Amino acid sequence: MTDTTRRDFLKYSGALGAAAATGGFAGLAHAQEVLKVGVVYVSPVADIGWTKQHSLGAQAIKDAFGDKVEMTIIDNIFMPQDAERVFTQLASSGNKLIFGTSFSHGTPMQKVAPRFPDIAFEHCSGIVHLANLGTFEAKYYEGTFVAGAAAGHMTKSGKIGFIGGFPIPDIVGPANALLLGAQSVRPDTTCNVVFLNSWFDPGKEKEAANTLLSQGCDVICSMTDTATGVQTAGEGGAWSIGYASDMAAFGSGKQLTAFTLDWSRDYVEPAKAVAAGTWKPEVRWDGLAAGIVKMAPYNEQIPADVVAKLKQLETDIGSGKVHPYAGELKDQDGNVKVAAGSVLADPDIRGMNWFVAGMIGKLA
Amino acid sequence: MHFTIEQRPQPSAAMRVAAPIIATLLTLAVGSAFFAALGYAPLAALHAFFIQPLSSANGLSEWLLKASPLILIGCGLAVGFRGNVWNIGAEGQLIAGAIAATGVGLYWPAPDALLLPLMILAGIVAGMAWAAVPAFLRARMNTNEVLVTLMLTYVATLLLSWLVHGPWRDPAGFNYPQTALLPPAAMFSYFDPAYRLNTSIVATVIAVVAMWLFTDRSFLGYKMSVSGAAPLAARYAGFRESSAIWIGLLAGGAAAGFAGVAEAAGPLGQLSPQISPGYGFAAIIVAFIGRLNAFGIVLGGLLMSLLFLGGEQVQMTLGLPSALTRIFQGILLFFLLACDFFIFYRLRRSGGH
Repeated sequence: MTDTTRRDFLKYSGALGAAAATGGFAGLAHAQEVLKVGVVYVSPVADIGWTKQHSLGAQAIKDAFGDKVEMTIIDNIFMPQDAERVFTQLASSGNKLIFGTSFSHGTPMQKVAPRFPDIAFEHCSGIVHLANLGTFEAKYYEGTFVAGAAAGHMTKSGKIGFIGGFPIPDIVGPANALLLGAQSVRPDTTCNVVFLNSWFDPGKEKEAANTLLSQGCDVICSMTDTATGVQTAGEGGAWSIGYASDMAAFGSGKQLTAFTLDWSRDYVEPAKAVAAGTWKPEVRWDGLAAGIVKMAPYNEQIPADVVAKLKQLETDIGSGKVHPYAGELKDQDGNVKVAAGSVLADPDIRGMNWFVAGMIGKLA
Repeated sequence: MHFTIEQRPQPSAAMRVAAPIIATLLTLAVGSAFFAALGYAPLAALHAFFIQPLSSANGLSEWLLKASPLILIGCGLAVGFRGNVWNIGAEGQLIAGAIAATGVGLYWPAPDALLLPLMILAGIVAGMAWAAVPAFLRARMNTNEVLVTLMLTYVATLLLSWLVHGPWRDPAGFNYPQTALLPPAAMFSYFDPAYRLNTSIVATVIAVVAMWLFTDRSFLGYKMSVSGAAPLAARYAGFRESSAIWIGLLAGGAAAGFAGVAEAAGPLGQLSPQISPGYGFAAIIVAFIGRLNAFGIVLGGLLMSLLFLGGEQVQMTLGLPSALTRIFQGILLFFLLACDFFIFYRLRRSGGH
């Protein structure tokens, strides 16, 4: 909420009756050129994690627009039943651009968007597009491949551990790429996998991380909404890989790197387009090259020549010279899924529901 | 100075009326101080919390839509609670109902006109079946139904997770864990297409009346209450404890099962790994706010629903973080239940020990 709105509200709030008259005040108090933007978060904003990175995206709009934007932010909306109501309210209260930030916001946005054809909807993690519903998503697997290569250089046991929130393609794919990255350095590496069936369950995540440690994993990567994986690994003397935000502060100096998400472009550009009247629904899916996925500073204990190799790998993935899902790729049962010389097609990456050979664990 | 808590010889009639009023005043006072201390105008915050959500037709529709499952499940649970049958697992029974209804809706080749009635039937039967397990175990083996109902909630959640990750996954959904959308014939119809309130609320109205008739007007309901208040006396009078257990759990299961149907065939339209915003658990609070009485439960459900909508509204209009709104919701529920406590108990100053 902008300060302007707070002030407006204070002016009117002398009496309950007066406050009752303020239902539509916001539209009156501002000139036409102020862009109203609504953002719905799936969880509360914390110091790190998924929603924190989205809040930085929303902040980027504020920085770019200053007092020419009025942002309404609703957090902690996970259930589709609630999301549909919130999106409807945001749409009917004058917001011209509305962001959803979770896969679970998808079906509600698909229901609400057609009812408000003049409003632009942007959905992070979405798979369905409509005339006024665009989507954006990050190529996490590019980040996990580089992080996996770092793990491959640093692991002693040749076993890495992965903790995922849910076994959805956005998590399964990056988990595969993590192992493939490690195997690109050390081919005999295996990866133990645990799914929490929750994005935020520090207790369960700690247990999972300890299980992985006791199985001999000496690098742990956790794709959830907490720093628990990084923390538990560090306490157990193991390396860790952070996700979404740089989690080095939690890792007892043992975070190798983190694949962080910078959504600023995905927030600012649609806002500019809506303000200019040129917005169109897009399918944006970018990674290292566009800076949506960024590698956090590498741990000082990684040898300099290895860091140089990792940075080169970042560049090569960005330029397309290296593809994380380049063949030959086999699944857990040894079936060839991607032939040598070809790469996994984009739709198959977005819908990945199989583990590559070397993954230890089952899906669902 | 010491205080002791002692039971009143008779429940206080005055407190019975005064408790909700005192609770409201205390909430308003403490809530205002709370908002003011955080730098938000208290009246504006309270207005956004309690008035603004209900100041539009859409708001009213959303209010009833959210209150409906809470009231329905609250009524079902209260039947058991009155007989000391503690069904904590309505959440699982709701999920079972939603699973059964969606299964019928997606995969049963029924004519359109019969589809929704069949789904409702399937959902209610599934909810009752889920509740029948703890009923059987408690009646036959004296197992603690609190544990069994709660644990079966996890079983239902995992069953749902398996279905949406596996056999029921939408083939056109990029392997994401959700089912296909239910066909239009499998959905409750709207009163007005502009609003989400749908005809499933009729079942809630029927349930409230049925609950009132059962608890206040039927001999069976009286027997359940006696079983709850004085199990030995009930046994002496020839009331079978097992019938109270079965009725209590099946009523809760049926209500929660229907609520599951209403969610799946209403605002959701499909299954995903998480389908209930905790209605099964919130309904326990609703039942107690309503003092296990049909009309009290209606008020309790409306209040809980309003608290939820209000929490979103203050975020929208004042930018309050959701954590603060939940603290305020907690303050209100605390005062409500704490004031009710003084209907049956009082504080007495006693000499120092």
